Amino acid sequence: MKRVVITGLGPVSNIGIGAAAFESGLREGHSGISTITAFDTAGFPRTMAGEVTAFDPEPILRRLDTKAWGRSSQFAAAAARLAVRDAGLRIELAEPHRVGVVVGTTSGESQVTEELGRRIAGEGFGSLPKELAAQLPAGRLAAAVSEELNVTGESVTLATACSASNYALGYAYDMVANGDADVMLTGGADSVCRWAHAGFVRLGAVAEGACAPFDRDRSGMITAEGGAIIVLESMDFAEARGATPYAEVLGYGLNCDARHMVAPNAEAIAECMRLAHRNAGVRPSDIDYVCAHGTGTAANDATEAEALHAAFDGCVPPVSSIKSMLGHTMGAASAFGVMASALAIARSFLPPTINWSNRDPAMPWLDPIPNHARPARVRVAQNNGFAFGGNNAIVVLGALS
Amino acid sequence: MNRLDIIGCGLISPAGDQLTAAFVGRPDPAEVTGMYEADLPKPVAHALASFSVRAELGRKGTSFFDRRTALTVMACNRALADADLRITDGNRRRTGVVLGTTAGSVKSSVDYAVDTFTQDPPYMVNPALFPNTVMNCAAGQSAIWLKLNGVNATVAGGRIAFLSVLRYCANAFRSQQADYLLAGAVEEFTPHTAWLSHLRRADGMLPGEGGAVFVVRPGDDSSNGARRPDAVMLAVSIGFCPNGSDRMAAIAGCVRTALARAGVPPDQIVRAASGGADNEATAEVSWRAVKDVLGHSNWERLEVEPVAGDNPTATGALELAALLALHRQRPELDGQASVLVAQNPEGAVGAAVFRGWSRDSHRG
Repeated sequence: MKRVVITGLGPVSNIGIGAAAFESGLREGHSGISTITAFDTAGFPRTMAGEVTAFDPEPILRRLDTKAWGRSSQFAAAAARLAVRDAGLRIELAEPHRVGVVVGTTSGESQVTEELGRRIAGEGFGSLPKELAAQLPAGRLAAAVSEELNVTGESVTLATACSASNYALGYAYDMVANGDADVMLTGGADSVCRWAHAGFVRLGAVAEGACAPFDRDRSGMITAEGGAIIVLESMDFAEARGATPYAEVLGYGLNCDARHMVAPNAEAIAECMRLAHRNAGVRPSDIDYVCAHGTGTAANDATEAEALHAAFDGCVPPVSSIKSMLGHTMGAASAFGVMASALAIARSFLPPTINWSNRDPAMPWLDPIPNHARPARVRVAQNNGFAFGGNNAIVVLGALS
Repeated sequence: MNRLDIIGCGLISPAGDQLTAAFVGRPDPAEVTGMYEADLPKPVAHALASFSVRAELGRKGTSFFDRRTALTVMACNRALADADLRITDGNRRRTGVVLGTTAGSVKSSVDYAVDTFTQDPPYMVNPALFPNTVMNCAAGQSAIWLKLNGVNATVAGGRIAFLSVLRYCANAFRSQQADYLLAGAVEEFTPHTAWLSHLRRADGMLPGEGGAVFVVRPGDDSSNGARRPDAVMLAVSIGFCPNGSDRMAAIAGCVRTALARAGVPPDQIVRAASGGADNEATAEVSWRAVKDVLGHSNWERLEVEPVAGDNPTATGALELAALLALHRQRPELDGQASVLVAQNPEGAVGAAVFRGWSRDSHRG
C-alpha cells in the first residue's frame, strides 16, 4: 500500500474561492450566508442560503465550454482547476490515464431539475428542450472535471447524498494507495435550488436566523452550494515532484444505518467512527480535532454528539461545524470538511463554530470551538459525513510524520 | 485484484421475472397510455404496466416508495433468493448495496420541483416524499428493507454506471470492506423517462423499464467450500475520453487493459455486449472497438435493447443478466469468456471480462 497525501485544495465556496481565501474565511469565522438570488423566494418563510455569489467560471476554466454544462458541473470543474493550481501540479505533464476523478453529489444538476419542473408545470412535457435534458445526468460532474483537465483515468460520480464527498475521498484514496492511479481529483459539488430548499423548509429543518450548530437554541440548517475538489497523490509521486502536502489520508470508514431514510442513528454513527479509527490505525485518544457533520438541526447535532461521546468514551476532542459559516453544501460538504481538517493540520489552527451563544445542557462536555479559530497543534483530524439513506462516511487525516 | 464472483441474479423485466425466460424472443410492448395522468410520447413501452408495489412487497413500509425504489427492493429480494444467501446478524454488517443510476428517480425530483411552481405557498411540498429526491434513495431503502449495515453506495454514470458499480464492488472487496454486495442498476418507466428517451433518440426505440441486481462476493475464494459462482468478473477497466479524442480507441484501450488484467487472450472471447447507445452510429463505435481488439470473427453480439427497450441506466445490468441466462440454459457454454463494454455521451468508457457457467455443472 502506498501512502496517500493531500497536496492541493480547490474550494469554490461562499467564504472564499481558492485555498488562501478559504483558509482566511475559516480563520476569521466569516459567514457565507446571504439572501437567495438563485430563485424567486416569494412565499417562502426562509429566504437565506449559502450561495457562491462571486462564482464566475470563465476566468478559471480553460477547456470546458460553460454553455453546455450545468452549475454543479461548473463548480466541480472550476474547483478541480484551482486544486491542481494549488498543488503546483502541471497536469499536462502527468500521464493522463494515471489521473482519475471521483466527485460526490447529493442532487447533481439540481438547477436543471428545477428548470425541467418549471417547464413541465407551465407548458407540459412536450416543451422540454433536448439541450437542457442532456445536462441532467449526475455523472456529468466527474466528466466535467476530466474534460476540463483533459485526463483519461477513471471518472466516476458518487451520489450518496450529503456524505458523498467523504465516500468519494475514500474511493480515491484506495485508487492511489493500491497504485491504480498516481493522482486523483476528488471532492463534491451541488447547487442551491428551489425544490431542495422547499423540501428542507417543509421538513422544518431550516434555521430561522443564523445556523448555530451545537448551540442550545439551534434552530436548523441553511441550504448552500459550492464545489470542493482536492488533489490526492501518492507520497512517492508528491516527493518526486517536490510538492508540499497539507496532510496524509490515514483511512476511512463507511456503513449504513439501515433504519430510517432521514433520521440518523447514533449507534450506527458511533460504529462508523470505530470503523474509521480502526482502518486508519488510530485510537480515539490520538484525534485532536473533529470536523463535525454538524448541520445545526436539533436532532442531528444531538445524535452526532451522542455518537461522539460513545465512540470517544466520553473524552471527545474539540469539535466544530464549518456549516455555521458555509451552510450545508450537500454533496460538497464533506470535501469542505476535509479541506478544513487538512488546513487545521497544516496550519495549526482549529476552525470555529460561529453563531454559537449557549452551551447545550444535553452536551455539556462538548467544546464547539466557539466563534473564534484557536491555535492548536493538530496531529490527527476526523471528518464526519452523514446523509439521507443512512450513508455514514468518516475520513481520518494525519500530519506528515 | 479486480476479480469478483457473481452468485445470483434478481431480474426485473416486463418480459418475465424468470432469468431463463426473459431474453427469449421479442415480447410485445405494453400499453402504457393509462399508467399516468401526464401525456406520454408513445402509447406503448417495454414497461411493467401492471406492476403494483403493494401486491409485490405489501403495504407496510412501502407507501412512499417511488417506482425505482420499489423495483430495486424487489430485485434485491430476488437476487438474494437466487443466490440462496440468507441475511443474518452474522453477515448484515458486512453486506451492502451498490447501485448504478443516471439521475435517481427523475420523476421524484422533477415532480418535487413542479410542486414548488404549483403549490401555494410554494414550499408546501410533501415532506414524506423528500427522501425520494435523493439519488441514493433506492440504495438506502433497500438497506432498510433487508437490514444491511454494510457499504451503501450509489454510482451515477448512465450507460457506464453498471460497470462502475462492479468496479466499485471490486475495490470494496479489495479493501476488505464487505463480504457480500448487492450490485445492480434498475430504472423506472415514468412520463419523465419516456420523454427524456424521446428527446435523446431519433430511431423510435421504445423506452424500457427494469434492470437487475446481482449478489457478488470477493473472487478467488471458490475453494473454501462456498458454492461455485454463476460467473466471475475477471477484470474491469474504466476510463475517460475527452472531447476531441478518439472514442473508439478509448473503448478499445479499456478492452485491451481488461483482457490483459484478466489474463484472457482476445481469441478466447466468444461473446460481446455494447452497453447500448442512443443511436446506431454510436453503437457502431463500440462494436468496432471490440472487433478491433478481438481481431477475429468467432464472437457473437449479445444485445438486450431489442427486448428491453431504451433503458440506458440498466442496459449493462440487463446484458450481464442475459449472459447468466445463456450460461444457465446451455451447459455446453461452460467456461466461455465474454466482454461487456460501455460508453456514455460525456465520454466515460469501460470494459469488463467475464467467464460464466451453468448451474447444473456445479450445484446439486
